[in-house]
Amino acid sequence: MQIAYARRYRAAKWAWCGMVLSALACAVPVSADQPDFVRNGKAGFVVSHIEYALSKDAKETGACPNDMTQGNTSLDAQGPRPEGESPEQAQRRAIAALMQKNTCGNPAAAGPDPNFRTVTGTKVPAYGIDLDGKDSSIKSKPAPGHCSHEDFVGMNGERGIDNQFFRVVGCSKSFQSTGLSNSWNTEMLTGSWGILITLSGVHDLRNDDNVEVGIFANADPIELSPGREPLPNATYAIDQDPRFQARTHGRIVNGVLTTEPVDVRFHKITNSVYLERPLQEARLQITIGEDGSLEGYLAGYTPVEAMYDLQYGFRNGKNAKGEPADPKLIAITANGSAAVLGHTCNGAYFALHELADGGRDPNTGKCTSISTQYRIKAIPAFVVNVETKSLNEDLKGK
Amino acid sequence: MSIMAGERQTRSPLSRGKMAALALLLSGLAAVQQAACAAQEPAAGGPPVVRRLTESQYRATVADIFAPDIPVVGRFERAQRKDGLVAVGTSEAGLSSFSLEQYDASALGIAAAVVSKERRDRLLPCQPKSETQFDTSCAKRVIEHYGPLLFRRPLAPQETARFVETARAGQARLGNFYKGLQFMLAGMLIEPDFLLRIERIEPNPKHPGQFRLDAYSKATRLSYFLTNSTPDRELLNAAAAGQLDSEEGLTRQVDRLMASPRYTGAVRAFFEDMLQFDLFGDLAKDPVIYPSYSSVVAADAQEQTLRTLTDHLLTKQGDYRDIFTTQSTFLTRALGRVYAQPVPTRNGWESMEFPASASRAGILTDVSFLALHSHPGCSSPTLRGKAIREIFMCQKVPDPPANVDFTAFDAAQHDKASPTARDRLEDHQTNPTCAACHKVTDPMGLTLENFDGGGVFRAKENGALIDASGALNGVKFNGALGLGQALHDDPDVAHCLVDKLYRFGLGRKLTTQEDEHTEQLDQTFAANGYRVPDLMRTMATSNAFYAVSVAGKEPGKGAKGKKGAAVTERAETRKQVGGRS
Repeated sequence: MQIAYARRYRAAKWAWCGMVLSALACAVPVSADQPDFVRNGKAGFVVSHIEYALSKDAKETGACPNDMTQGNTSLDAQGPRPEGESPEQAQRRAIAALMQKNTCGNPAAAGPDPNFRTVTGTKVPAYGIDLDGKDSSIKSKPAPGHCSHEDFVGMNGERGIDNQFFRVVGCSKSFQSTGLSNSWNTEMLTGSWGILITLSGVHDLRNDDNVEVGIFANADPIELSPGREPLPNATYAIDQDPRFQARTHGRIVNGVLTTEPVDVRFHKITNSVYLERPLQEARLQITIGEDGSLEGYLAGYTPVEAMYDLQYGFRNGKNAKGEPADPKLIAITANGSAAVLGHTCNGAYFALHELADGGRDPNTGKCTSISTQYRIKAIPAFVVNVETKSLNEDLKGK
Repeated sequence: MSIMAGERQTRSPLSRGKMAALALLLSGLAAVQQAACAAQEPAAGGPPVVRRLTESQYRATVADIFAPDIPVVGRFERAQRKDGLVAVGTSEAGLSSFSLEQYDASALGIAAAVVSKERRDRLLPCQPKSETQFDTSCAKRVIEHYGPLLFRRPLAPQETARFVETARAGQARLGNFYKGLQFMLAGMLIEPDFLLRIERIEPNPKHPGQFRLDAYSKATRLSYFLTNSTPDRELLNAAAAGQLDSEEGLTRQVDRLMASPRYTGAVRAFFEDMLQFDLFGDLAKDPVIYPSYSSVVAADAQEQTLRTLTDHLLTKQGDYRDIFTTQSTFLTRALGRVYAQPVPTRNGWESMEFPASASRAGILTDVSFLALHSHPGCSSPTLRGKAIREIFMCQKVPDPPANVDFTAFDAAQHDKASPTARDRLEDHQTNPTCAACHKVTDPMGLTLENFDGGGVFRAKENGALIDASGALNGVKFNGALGLGQALHDDPDVAHCLVDKLYRFGLGRKLTTQEDEHTEQLDQTFAANGYRVPDLMRTMATSNAFYAVSVAGKEPGKGAKGKKGAAVTERAETRKQVGGRS
């Protein structure tokens, strides 16, 4: 550490930091060839793309030898239809039946779904990184605080990939490349929510033993080009709710930033139902491009109940005012999603619990969170820590 | 000459007959003007002019006379620019039938808004005894209240009587007093006396044989120069009392107008005109090449430059020449993306200083200049250099010849050996046909090549480092900052501002007889530290600003003076740059 710093110092020049702060407090030795997106050792980014890190399609990898998950709609639609009923009418009938049962609102009561399929094989490759520091096997002793599970092999042969969420959804049709479930990035591009990343104390973008890293919810809508592509160099404000702010440290090795675990939390809005997307022990493993682009993984553990709610049940959803959302809206969002996307809420609920691999409860011995990996891309942005509001803010509640 | 509103046969107060009459009037006024000029030699000033209100003047005038919330619904014809200024074009271009239709639509909308139930109590000076019975007294009060403001002069008794009859006829046809008033007001709003600033002259009693603007024309010229809007009641009253003929009275009004909030609007209007911001309406950028450019950026970019100018010139009372070097500016978030600068305020403007690393200083590095004077898909050193010469130095760069051969340039566009604009424009310097003009445009324009056609900074083009060196009048420099300093130090730049501002106020080219006065203005401008408000005050309080030259009567020289009657632009005479071989 000491040697590395000395080397950096010799190769650096002192950045001028303005008159307000003292030189000792603000002057950061920066590499002479630091790119434009790093100013005074600081850089900001806005996530421009995010999706669950899963794998290639099951058809290609053979991840689902026992067929794909069968949702309620498809099951009902397979049954005998009254004479004259169209497939669309049959689907509406199925949704109405689902709404009446509302298994999504109380999945535990419905019991496991024998037709809900998960990825069981050990030879299937998956995207992601090693979270627990162990190349786990179902037969081996799990890492402390974890439950037994089978790790994946990465796309490039990396060992110990923890990605149990992929096991849950890998045999769901809507999570295949042609499905709708992994395109929620669109919500972000409409400005519903966003994610910001900051780096500070950066001396060398290629190799740096210690950089401060911020991971925040974005309080501003993402700015897009006329072609609907996120634009670089826009300014965004950090969400002022401390629950949506996380700060940690990381190191850069050969241009790859890896951070220490920290709990993060983001927003999620589906069908006007406001939810939270927590990720415990989250870490970044991300490559820093010369142009200031970031690409890599944001990975950690999602509490099982939270994952069920944000992906399937929407049970604790709120409205724009922060009040509990209309139960009818929640029910139709959850049950309608199940019907359209081809899963059962109870099937997903029990699969999440069964495959949970993190947050082991020492009393019950059961795990309460599930390893979740996101593939993200980010572009340079100016991240400011100020209160911000929409021009329409004053219309709230009117 | 005015049109009898009672003749109207339709709901619209602008009948075909009226349109024809208006066109006749315009041509008639022009003929009278020409006849006056032809018959007599000019004096110290120039000829009186008939000027059409610009869009911003029309809107400001309506807002000031009635209320700011009165909607103006018509579309405005594209402004005609003459000799670098729309202000000059307003005295040379005619009115198309499309334009008259749009004025008609605006007039109907404005009149309806003024007499609407929500506004009539606030905006009308009286209420009728009954809406169904015509109230002559009230109609007359309305005309006497708004007539002088709309026509910028008192109404003759017969004019008042005619408009009363118009309102009466309107009520008779439409069945309601307010409808009648609406009909009458709409008619007034399409009168030539409203749409056009018709300058009237009178013999100058202090200098027999000479002429001057009459008091109301003087008030109008003064008001639009210093407020970009119509004379208010106080100014009209001063004109009526003859106060504008005395130095003290004129100075009092000038100081009052310059102290009003509307003065900033006048300065903005001048720079909008000078910087050719009307061209933004036609500006398109390829969204694939310039993803950061949008209509929001275009609007904010204009406002950024205008805010920077008014802040520097008015709030800080700064040196005009520093507009080419100042690093102070104002940004919105949309602009922050283009300038790669943080803008914490989400909805609004932030004052900031460009850091040295931004390589930006002065309005030449504003998006409003860089993007406006570029092509849709690439920058243009030629267009930028031409714009600098014409806008800021009042030099005329000739148009390219009709038979120009672009093959060499087009071939260079796809030649990997020519990655930068400097490489591609090599032919401009070596081909004698091209070089005659391009040698005066490209060397300056190339110094702005660190900014692409959307105004975004770039160190390289197609992977090659950009050489942004250049020269102006033998002074060599590098990049936009060097260009800004070179313009700051070039005396032509300050002279040009004086010329343009003076022509903006007069609405016409300058005459050779006015050269002496503008040269005095140059000296005063320099002596006062190149402060624009001081320059405008000097102009507005000078007799020359209101002097009228009627051909054949040169002051103190009898019928035939030594100086000709030629109307020439001073700067144009002084500098004609480039030329085709």
